[in-house]
Amino acid sequence: MQQHYGPSIHSSSTQSSVLSPQPSDTIVNVSGFVKRYKKHMAVDGIDLEIRKGEIYGLIGPDGAGKSSLMKAIAGVLTYDEGTVEVFGTLVDSERAAERVKERIGFLPQGLGLNLYPDLSVEENIDFFARLRLVPEQQLTERKTRLLAMTRLDKYRDRAMKNLSGGMKQKLGLICTLIHEPELAILDEPTTGVDPVSRRDFWAILAELLLEKGMTALVSTAYMDEASRFHRLSFLSGGKVLASGTPAEVQMLAPGSMVTFEATPQLDAIARLKIRYKQVEALGPLLHVFTDDTDPAAAMQSITSSLGIIKPMQLRVNEPELEDVFVALLLRQGEQPTAIEMPPAAPVTSNGTLAIEAKDLIRDFGTFRAVDRVSFQVKPGEIFGLLGANGAGKTTVIKMLNGIMPPTGGEGWVAGADMKTAGGAIKERIGYMSQAFSLYLDLTVVENIRLFAGIYGLDANATDQRLKWIVSMAGLKGYESSLTGRLPMGVRQRLALGCALVHQPRVLFLDEPTSGVDPIGRRHFWDILSRLAREEGVAILVTTHYMSEAEHCDHLALMYAGRIVAEGSPVDMKRQVEKEAGQLLEVATDQPGPALRRVTQAGFVGAALFGTKLHLLSLDPSQDEARLRTALSSDGVQVQDVLIRPLSLEDVFVYRVLVVERQEQATVKGAAA
Amino acid sequence: MRVSDRLTVWCRRIAVMTRKELLQLFRDIPLMAFLIYSFTLSVYVTGNGIQTQLKNAGLLVSDADRSVSSRELISRFHSPYFRFDGELAHPNEGFVRLDRGGSMMVLDIPTRFHEALVSGESTAVQLLVDTTNSPQGLSAAGYAARIVGQFSQELIMTRNGQTGSSSTTVPMILSDHRVWFNQDQNETWFESISHLLRMITIFAVLLPAAALVREKERGTVEQLLVSPLTPAQIMLPKVVAMTLVILGATAVALFGVMLPVFGVPIRGSVSLLFLLTALFIVATAGIGVFASTVTKNQAQVGMMTLLVVAPMLLLSGIFTPLETMPAWVRYLMALSPLRYFIEIATGILLKGIGLEMLWSQALSMLALGVSLFGFGMWRFRRQFR
Amino acid sequence: MNVRRVAAVAFKEWREVTRDRIFLLLAFCMPAVWMFVFGYGLVLDVEHISFVVVDRDHSSLSRDYLYRFYQSRYFSFQGELADEGEADAWLKSGKARAVIIVPEKFQERLLSGQPANIQTLIDGTFPLRADITKGYTIAINNAYNVDLLADHLARTRGLSRDEALRRTRPLGLEVRYLYNEEVRSTWSTVPALIMFSLMVSSPLLTALGVVREKETGSIYNIYSATVSRMEFLVGKLVPYVMISLINVVVLWLMAVLLFAVPFKGSLLLFFASSILFILTSTGIGLTVSLLVSTQQAALIITVVVSTVPTILFSGLIVPVSSLSQAAQFQAHLFPGMYYTNIVRGTFLKNVGPAVLWPDVLALAVYAAALGAIGYRLFTKRPSV
Repeated sequence: MQQHYGPSIHSSSTQSSVLSPQPSDTIVNVSGFVKRYKKHMAVDGIDLEIRKGEIYGLIGPDGAGKSSLMKAIAGVLTYDEGTVEVFGTLVDSERAAERVKERIGFLPQGLGLNLYPDLSVEENIDFFARLRLVPEQQLTERKTRLLAMTRLDKYRDRAMKNLSGGMKQKLGLICTLIHEPELAILDEPTTGVDPVSRRDFWAILAELLLEKGMTALVSTAYMDEASRFHRLSFLSGGKVLASGTPAEVQMLAPGSMVTFEATPQLDAIARLKIRYKQVEALGPLLHVFTDDTDPAAAMQSITSSLGIIKPMQLRVNEPELEDVFVALLLRQGEQPTAIEMPPAAPVTSNGTLAIEAKDLIRDFGTFRAVDRVSFQVKPGEIFGLLGANGAGKTTVIKMLNGIMPPTGGEGWVAGADMKTAGGAIKERIGYMSQAFSLYLDLTVVENIRLFAGIYGLDANATDQRLKWIVSMAGLKGYESSLTGRLPMGVRQRLALGCALVHQPRVLFLDEPTSGVDPIGRRHFWDILSRLAREEGVAILVTTHYMSEAEHCDHLALMYAGRIVAEGSPVDMKRQVEKEAGQLLEVATDQPGPALRRVTQAGFVGAALFGTKLHLLSLDPSQDEARLRTALSSDGVQVQDVLIRPLSLEDVFVYRVLVVERQEQATVKGAAA
Repeated sequence: MRVSDRLTVWCRRIAVMTRKELLQLFRDIPLMAFLIYSFTLSVYVTGNGIQTQLKNAGLLVSDADRSVSSRELISRFHSPYFRFDGELAHPNEGFVRLDRGGSMMVLDIPTRFHEALVSGESTAVQLLVDTTNSPQGLSAAGYAARIVGQFSQELIMTRNGQTGSSSTTVPMILSDHRVWFNQDQNETWFESISHLLRMITIFAVLLPAAALVREKERGTVEQLLVSPLTPAQIMLPKVVAMTLVILGATAVALFGVMLPVFGVPIRGSVSLLFLLTALFIVATAGIGVFASTVTKNQAQVGMMTLLVVAPMLLLSGIFTPLETMPAWVRYLMALSPLRYFIEIATGILLKGIGLEMLWSQALSMLALGVSLFGFGMWRFRRQFR
Repeated sequence: MNVRRVAAVAFKEWREVTRDRIFLLLAFCMPAVWMFVFGYGLVLDVEHISFVVVDRDHSSLSRDYLYRFYQSRYFSFQGELADEGEADAWLKSGKARAVIIVPEKFQERLLSGQPANIQTLIDGTFPLRADITKGYTIAINNAYNVDLLADHLARTRGLSRDEALRRTRPLGLEVRYLYNEEVRSTWSTVPALIMFSLMVSSPLLTALGVVREKETGSIYNIYSATVSRMEFLVGKLVPYVMISLINVVVLWLMAVLLFAVPFKGSLLLFFASSILFILTSTGIGLTVSLLVSTQQAALIITVVVSTVPTILFSGLIVPVSSLSQAAQFQAHLFPGMYYTNIVRGTFLKNVGPAVLWPDVLALAVYAAALGAIGYRLFTKRPSV
C-alpha cells in the first residue's frame, strides 16, 4: 500500500485568508438548547450562533454534548427545550428538518462508519451524490476534482474497507460535501487518524470551504486543531464553558507554559505541585502552566517555588490551547492531574527483555504488511510504536500477542517464545485493542469480574483487584452503569483496568486514547507511567497523539511495514535537527496564502500548525530573510519569525515526508 | 500448576463466561419477550390448533333420489370429519363450487338409489374429490369408502334376513383397534410436543450462532483471543448459557402449558427427559457453532442455519411421520439430532420408557454433538488467520 | 416520491448484496435447495409401517389373512412374536408401530360362519400415523371380508363366485379425483413449496438491513439526506424483491420442468400475485428490522415469525379448514395462506381472478398495511 501525504495545498483561487471570514448572515442560531436521554441530561441550555463562511468549532471532553448538538442542528435528533434555527427555519419537526437538509452535509462520528465497506471509493461517492440528486455531469466533474485533491483517484475501485484510516476520513469528507452543501457538520472527523493525514484533511477542508463559500461546524478531540477554527465553543458537562475566537478563548486563561529540566525530578514535582495545578512530566522535561503572562515573572515564580533545585534549560512559551482548556476545566473543579511518578526509575531488570521482536514479517497474500521489524522493550519501559494508519503497527502487536501467526521472524514476550509458548504468553500479557472490545451490554463491575474470571482469579483476588481497578481508573460512581452509556474516556480507562486485572508483566495498548479528551488522556498516561515506573510493567503503545508520544521512553516510527526511525523522543528530535535543521515558526496575517507562497519558494517541508507556519531550516537567519522577502512580495505581512524547539509532531511529519519522497523518487527512477 | 488447580481455573472460566452470556441475553428485552411467547402462547395455539386427521372436510351433496336411503347415507358423513356444505341443485354445479374452493367433495347420489337398494340390485354413488391437497383428498376418500362400506355391510345383513339379531352368523373380521399410549388419539399431546421441539431447535441453533457472530462483528472476540481462553472455553459457555435458558423455557412450556392445559402425561422420568433435552440442545447448538465459524455476519449465519434448520423441522419426523419419507431422506435425517429426540421426547412422556430403550438415540445425538463441536473448535482459530 | 433517489438507495443496496458472495449465493440457493429437497423428500404417502404379528391360530386361513399385510407396501413385517406379552416392548421401543393379534380358533370360527375378532395394537404417540395405520388395517380387513363373504355366500347359497361377489357389494363408491387426477403427492406439495420457500427465505433477506445500518451508523446518511421515508424503504426493498422475483421464476421452472406439475392457469395472474406476495414477505422482514435494536433479535424473531406459521398455518400440509378457531385466526394473519390458494389455484385448478380475487386482495391489503406500518415506524429524526 502506498500513500501520499503532505500538507501540500494546490494552487487555486486566491482571495482572502483562510482565517478571516467576512462578517455576514447568521446560518445557525441555537438558543436555550436542552437534550435529555431518559433521565440523563446531555445538553443543558446552550446558545450558539454560526455565521456564513466560518469554521465553527465544538471542543470539549467526552460526554460534553457535542454530538447531540450537532445531530440536532443536522435535523436527525429531537431535542427537549430551546430552539434550533438553521437557514432561518425553525427545526422542530421532521417535516421542518426536511426543508433544510438539502443545504446541509452531515458526517457522523466514527471513522468511516457511515460509509459502506463493501462498496468501492467511487461507488460510495456515487451513492451519496445520487441520494442528493446531483446531476450526473456535475457528479463526474466534482468527483474527478475531489478525488484528485484528496489523492484518492488511484483508489477509485478499491473497496472502502481496504482503505487506511486517513483515506477513509477523506472519502467521508468527499461523500459529505459532494452535493456542495452550504453548511457542513462534521463530528470528530479527525479522530483516530495519524498527524500527516490530519493535516492533509484540514488543508483540503479549508480549501473547499473557501472555494465554495461553505460554512462548517466541526468538533474535535485534538485540542491542537482548535486553532484552525474561526470561532469555537468549549463545552463541558452540557454547558458552554467558553466561546469566541481562539485568541479570545486563550485570553480566558492567561498564563504561560514553562518548560525545563530539573533533578531530582520527583522532588521538583512535589514542590511544584503545592503551587501549580498543571504539572506534567515528559521524559526528562517538566511542563508547568503558570498564571503569569510575563515570561520573566513566570520564570521567577517557578525558580522560587523550586527552591534549592535549579531548573535547567528554562524556557517560557505561550500556552497551547490544550493547556488553556485543561486550565479552564481545572478551574471548573475537575480533578487535578496527579503526577507522583519517579522518572524512568531503573527497575531491577535481571537482563531479560520484556518484549523482543526479531525480523518479524507478515504477508497478506502478496502484500507485505510487516517487513523485518525488530525491537526490544525492557521491563519498566514505555515503548511507543508510531506510524500512519496502515503502517503495520496493529499487525505487529497482533503477532506478538499470538492472535496472528507471523510469516517469518521470531519473538519473545515475557520470557516466552511467541511460537511455542503461546499459552504462557497469554497468561502474562494484557491487551487493549484498537476497537473497544469490552461488552457494552454489561456493567463496569460485570466486565471486570468477567475478565478476572477469565484469568482464573479466585473470589478473594477478584474483589481485591476490583477495588484496585475502580480506584486506579477513577471508576467510582460508574460501577453499575452499563458500559455502553459511559463517556469514551471512562470506557478506555475501564478497558485498561480489564487489561490489568491479572497484573500482567507486559502490556500492549493499541491506540488506547483515540477519541479521549485531554484530561482523560493525561489521567490515562499518569496511570501508565506509574505502572511502568513503580511496578516495572513493560508497555508497548501506539498512538496518534504526538504529545502523548513524548511520554514514551523509546519510540519507533513505522512506515509501510518497516521501522524507519528509532530512539528516545530527545534522540529523534536531535536526529531531525541534525539532518534538516531547526524549526522556524512563522506568524503571518494570512496563513493559507502564506503557506502556498512559501512552498512555491522552495521550502519543501512547510506546514500549517494552527495559525502558524512551521518549516525546518539548516540556516535560520538566511532562510528568514528569504521568507520575509517572498511573503512581503505577495502582500502577506510577516508578524514574527521564531526558532522553536521541535515537537514530535514535526519529527513525525518530517520523517514520513522524507520516506515518501524517497519512495516517489525510486518509483520514478524505476519508471524512467 | 497442580491438576486440581487447573480444574478450578477451568471451571471458573466457564462459569464467568456463562454468566456473561446470560446477562447479555437477559438484557435483550425484545428477544426475551419473544422467547417467552414462543414457549407459551405459541405452544398453546399450535397444540390446540393443529389437526392432522381429517376434520371439517367440506361436503356438497347432489341428491337426485331424495329418499330415506339417500338421506340415511348422507347423514353418515358427519362431524368431526365432514362438514355439510349444502345441497346442489345440479350435479354440474359441483365443479364450479370445487373450483371456488372451500368445499372439498361432492357426493353424487343417482336417481332410483333407494329403489335399487331395496330391490337387491347393485348401485353406486359417485364422489368427486379435490386433490390439490393430495393427502387430505386421499384421507377424505378413505373415510368415505369406510362409510359406504359400512353402509353396504349393514345392507347385506338386512338382505340376508338377519334383522334384529346380531351379525353372529356372517363370517367376517371384526376390527378391534387399541391405540396405545394415547387412547383418545388426543392430537394436542403430540402437536404441543412437536411444537416445543420445533422451538427448542430454532433457538438452540440460532442463539449461540448469533452470539458468536456478534462477538466477531463487534470485535469483542479479539479480547478473548488474547486471553488464555481456549476455543472450547469461548464456545462452550455460550452453549451452556443458551442451554440453561432453553431448558428453563422448556420447563415453562411443559409445566405451564402442556401439563395443566393439555394434560400431557409424563410417564417416564422427568430428570431423564431434561438431561436428554440438554444433550439435544447441545448437539443442535453444534450446528449453529459450526455455521458461525464459516460466516462473517448475522445475515450470512442466519441464512446458513436456516438452510439446514428448515429441512430438519420438516423431515425429522415431528411434522409428518418418518414412515412417509423416501429412503434417502431417512438416511439424510440420521444427521439430524431432532430425528432422535422426537423419539426420546414421546418415549419418555407418552410411553414411559427409559434409557434402556433410548440409549441408541441418545448415543447418536451425542456422536453428532461431539463431531459438530469438534469441527467448530477446529475451525474457530483458523478463521482468524 | 423521487425515482432517482429510490434508485440510488436500491443501487447501493444491490451493490452491497452482490459484494457479499456468501449472502448472494445463499439468497439464490436457499429456495431452490429447499424446493429440491422437499419436492422429492416431503412425500406424504405413509409406507413401510413396521409391524409384528402374534398368530395364536397358526392356521392356513390366518396365514392367508396375514399374507395380505406382508404383501402390502404400506406395511413392513418385522417378525412374529410367540407371546402377546412381548408386544409391549416392541411398541415401546418403536421397533414396531402396530401389533396384529390373530386369536385362537380364527379359522374355525370363520369357516363356521362366525365372525372373528382381530386385535390391532397401534402406537398412538403420533396420532396422524396411528390414524393412517388404522385406516390401512380397516381397508385390508374390509377387502378380506368381501372375499370371506363371497366365499361364504357361494358355499351356503350355491351361487357362482361372481354372483356372490356382486351381492357382497350392493353399494359401490366411485371416486373421481379432481385437479390432481393421479393423486400425486408432488403435485400438491410442489406448488405449496413455492409459497414455503419464498415465505421463509424472503423476510430473512431484509430483516437485518435497517438494524445493521443503525448499528454501524450509516443510517445517518439517510437521516441527514432529503430522501423521504418511503423512498428509503422502497429503495431498501427493491433489490430483495428482485432476488425473490428471480427465485419465483426459478421455482416455477423447477415445478414445471423438474417435478412435471401441470400449470393450468394464468401466468399473468400467478406472477402478478407473486409480486404482491414477495412485497409482503420482504416487508415482514423490514418491519422486524425497524422494530428491534439488535441484529440478533432481528434474526431470531424473523426466523420464528416466518418459519413457524408457514409450516403450520398456511395450508402447506394441514388445510386451514381443519385448524381450530384460534389457529385459523392466526392463519389469516399471515400472507402464506392466501398465496397457497393462489398457487394451487393457478397450477392445478385453472381458476382465474373471478375465484381468486379475495386472496389477491388480501395480499394487496397486507402489502399496503406493511407499507403504512413501516412508514410509521421509521423516523428520520429519532429521539435517541
